[in-house]
Amino acid sequence: MSEAARNIANSLNIILPEAVLVATACVHFLFGPFLVTDTGRATARVRHRWGGLALAALVTAGWFWLSTTPLATEPAGPFRLDALTWFVRGVSIAAGVVLVLINWNQYDDAFAAEGHALLLLIVSGVNLAAAANDLVGLFLALELVSIPTYVLLYLPRRDAAAQEATIKYFLLSIFSSAILLYGFSLLYGIAGTTNLTALYKALWNAPAAFPPVLVVAVVTIVAGLSFRVTAVPFHFYAPDVFQGAPTSGAALLSFVPKIVGFVGLLRILWSPGVKDALPEPPIWTLASEGLPLLWILAVATMFLGNLMALVQTNIKRLLAYSSIAHAGYMLVGLTVGRQRNAAADGIEALLFYLAVYGAMTVGVFAALIFLSRPGRSVESIDDLAGLSRRRPVVALLLAIFLFSLTGLPPTAGFLGKLNLFLAAWSRGTIDSYWLAGLMGVNAAIGAWYYLRIVAVMYLQPEPAGTHESEGTEWPALVGMVLCVIATVGLFVSPEWLWNVIERVSA
Amino acid sequence: MLPFLILLPFSAAILLAVLRFSDKSLVRWVSLLASVATLLLSLVLVDQYRALPAAKSAGPVKPRLEWQHAWLTYQIPPADSPEMREVSCEFYLGVDGISVLLIVLTALLTVSCVLVSWSSISERVTEFHACLLVLEAGLIGVFCAFDLLLFYVFFEFTLIPLFLLIGIWGGTRRRYAAGKFFIYTLAGSVVTLVGVVAFVLHLSTVANLGRPFSIPVVAFALSQDPLPVSLQWGLFLAVSAGFMIKVPLFPFHTWLPLAHVEAPTAGSVLLAGVLLKLGSYGFLRICLPFFPNACVSVGVPLVAVLSLIGIIYGALCALSQTDIKKLVAYSSVSHLGFCMLGMFALNPEGITGSVMQMINHGLSTGALFLIVGMLYERYHTRELRDLGGLMARVPLLGWTMVFVCLSSMGLPGLNGFVGEFLALIGMFKAHPVYAAIGASGVVLGAWYLLRMLEIGFFGPLREPAGSGDQHHPIRDMNLRELLALAPILVLCVAIGVYPKPILKMIEPDVQGVAKLYERSPTSWDQATAGTESEVEFSKVAMRGVHSVEEPASKQNRTPSIAVQVEPAMRQATVEVGQ
Repeated sequence: MSEAARNIANSLNIILPEAVLVATACVHFLFGPFLVTDTGRATARVRHRWGGLALAALVTAGWFWLSTTPLATEPAGPFRLDALTWFVRGVSIAAGVVLVLINWNQYDDAFAAEGHALLLLIVSGVNLAAAANDLVGLFLALELVSIPTYVLLYLPRRDAAAQEATIKYFLLSIFSSAILLYGFSLLYGIAGTTNLTALYKALWNAPAAFPPVLVVAVVTIVAGLSFRVTAVPFHFYAPDVFQGAPTSGAALLSFVPKIVGFVGLLRILWSPGVKDALPEPPIWTLASEGLPLLWILAVATMFLGNLMALVQTNIKRLLAYSSIAHAGYMLVGLTVGRQRNAAADGIEALLFYLAVYGAMTVGVFAALIFLSRPGRSVESIDDLAGLSRRRPVVALLLAIFLFSLTGLPPTAGFLGKLNLFLAAWSRGTIDSYWLAGLMGVNAAIGAWYYLRIVAVMYLQPEPAGTHESEGTEWPALVGMVLCVIATVGLFVSPEWLWNVIERVSA
Repeated sequence: MLPFLILLPFSAAILLAVLRFSDKSLVRWVSLLASVATLLLSLVLVDQYRALPAAKSAGPVKPRLEWQHAWLTYQIPPADSPEMREVSCEFYLGVDGISVLLIVLTALLTVSCVLVSWSSISERVTEFHACLLVLEAGLIGVFCAFDLLLFYVFFEFTLIPLFLLIGIWGGTRRRYAAGKFFIYTLAGSVVTLVGVVAFVLHLSTVANLGRPFSIPVVAFALSQDPLPVSLQWGLFLAVSAGFMIKVPLFPFHTWLPLAHVEAPTAGSVLLAGVLLKLGSYGFLRICLPFFPNACVSVGVPLVAVLSLIGIIYGALCALSQTDIKKLVAYSSVSHLGFCMLGMFALNPEGITGSVMQMINHGLSTGALFLIVGMLYERYHTRELRDLGGLMARVPLLGWTMVFVCLSSMGLPGLNGFVGEFLALIGMFKAHPVYAAIGASGVVLGAWYLLRMLEIGFFGPLREPAGSGDQHHPIRDMNLRELLALAPILVLCVAIGVYPKPILKMIEPDVQGVAKLYERSPTSWDQATAGTESEVEFSKVAMRGVHSVEEPASKQNRTPSIAVQVEPAMRQATVEVGQ
């Protein structure tokens, strides 16, 4: 075998999970149209086959992912496969499995191939964003996530509300991408490179003080990515889009943009992994320029999300505000950032919370999808009244997710919040004490509206005359069970996940 | 042993929830079987515990029969050296004399709860019994937990089943009551969590402690090398916030009467009998050993005064109630005041009295709620305006009520006396004025309970219209109800007549805590370290040794508490008897 061929084989080994995903997506795109007639009708139940294929691809990708190991070397190229990448790959593939399951019956048979292919592309986009070591690569990966998302918001249910939600998300997403690009270009102008490793080296070795424009660059980058993580004041789209979009789309939006956004922010602001060339502490990173901004964002996001969620009656709007509040909690971790001599540093706490948050929030949406009737999804909180009598198992699972979102034991949400507390408190500055305290206040506020849903399910009597068939989405139930296993399992034995995470910032 | 004790009721609850028997009485039998099995297991635990040789480990908190399992280990990259340090929290279960008794109390009351709910709960029976058993598992878990985080986890977890018990099977305002109970106590616990986090981080980074989550290790380390006084103040206030609400101390008690009145009988029994003890147990387990300086300088003025206000205020409120259940609820505020007053005497007598008061209040008030529940089942009212002279109609129930009231008001010879008396003696030794004020609560307690008995059970018969005739016959206590009450009544007498076995059981653990407070009053302004050799010793312990052998010279230094307390009690019994 020639040298070049061996090189290619080696590299293929490294990107095998994404290669499998993209290849399967291509198969979907290529062969999907042939199974649809000219009138746009497909063989009945063909969606099961496409779903099964997508699931098989994800499981295979997960299998290949398990056989890879984080590469420790400091990369000079545009991509890197360090511990953070390894972690995010695992989380996104797991999330992909659940998302495929809850999307299973959401598409018409005619669109099932494209729908599942787009999901696979989104998963590989998340992986690519995690691996990006270059501003351009990162931007491409973000778009690889965004563009399929626009389609997925519209594909399952093509009505006016979904249309409006999609357009809203599309326009604001483009706008935020433009802001992000502007920030990137400023950074490039200062450092003269788009490669993150080279960029940090250039900044650390800069002979003179930084030009003030560096702050502008940091602010615009944070603003651009704040849209993805729904941080205040870039959160306005979330409630409208969650409400208008189909429930499966809202499930996607509640988690995928967050993981991409936070990983992007971590890479740029805290640069985990770029440490061979680290000067001795205090470590300067781009986050140091934006700390007051991040602090304010975290506090404002927590408070706004929780307070607005208190007054919602539509459950999807409530979940939108809840996802904003949780973005605030995770921003606490980002603000605290990396530190020595701490049990849990901010980045570790943030990554743990991301994984846990994914399980619990997607679980809630899976429950809503399972409960939706043909042609009518669960909209208001009162639709859940008396659920504990109609569907005791689903009510129990949903209650577990809600208690986990509250942060009550015995669920992983408790450990997630605990880690954030530990991180914020061990930073040991006045502002981080405040951060921890305000987070405690918010956790107590948040308890109220999650508890209200539980109360409606368990304490409110069943409304008369609702005996329509509900709960037929069995794949969604499987997804829900997977999420519950993660939510409770990560409480009982968090050690293995925590070990993976500790390698990220070690 | 201990994991089984928690898992037994929990798995029974899961079994009920999964199998979903359509036959309601089958559900009840399974639930009864599980709770009786738990009770038997807890009695085996007592037996095992008593057979153990005296504790050898050093420090104020000495768990026995320990069971440990790794949970989450944090790697700490230190600032200076490349070597990683580890800080771990664990599933760390154990028991000491105090917790063994509280576990038995929990298991006993749960059996009574199952029995008393036999016919009064006919809606959603499966869920009810599953909730009850899950609650039992959580409560036992709190008393077994010797890891700070695990303690908090169980402490919080008990909210969920009780919320459902009140919210689904409660009275007319159940949803409001359940919500208020949940949010109120959750808000307090969040403050506690912040305090615990700050405490643990201080220990792990500043004091360099290897197992900052392990209660015995921390208690030992701090007994040698206390925290700075100002830090103790802040941590004491933060950590005790959740406990103060749970107890409840005076200004934080407003959730309690509401929750009690609206809860179903079983919920009230466990709420009063065990759940309130989580607060006082938390004080005893965490605040007293960890923050001695703060307990003396902040705790005594703050907690003791609040509990005094609680004693008087609770009694006065109880005096003006016409709803029997509400009356009993307010009497809980008053009784828990004695418990906290005794604890913050900070001497062996006071703390012993406080622990006894926890157990006695669990028995007496548990029994009171059971009887009130039985009355309500018969008359569908608890109003003293509608009820009177019931002794003529239900003599057995009436006399039981008289008996339990006597025990609750602290008649010598019954259990209530032991706890209140010891608590007051302890407080009298420390602060005579507080004790004198507190003693007036005993009089008030007798007043409101006797008033209730007079109106409700003696005098002319008065019943709601329609009850007592042929269509709604009022029957006296049946065998099932008698079985629910009998063990409690027997224990009331037994503890009242011969408290020594129990006193002996808790003595080493009470002494361990009380020993921290034996210093002269002037030395509390400064955190004083132990002697040279003890400091050396503590360094060994701090490095994560599981249990440390105490040097032989330090054993048996303090006289037995049973010896100290018994003569005083005997004397007082004689005086009151005359």
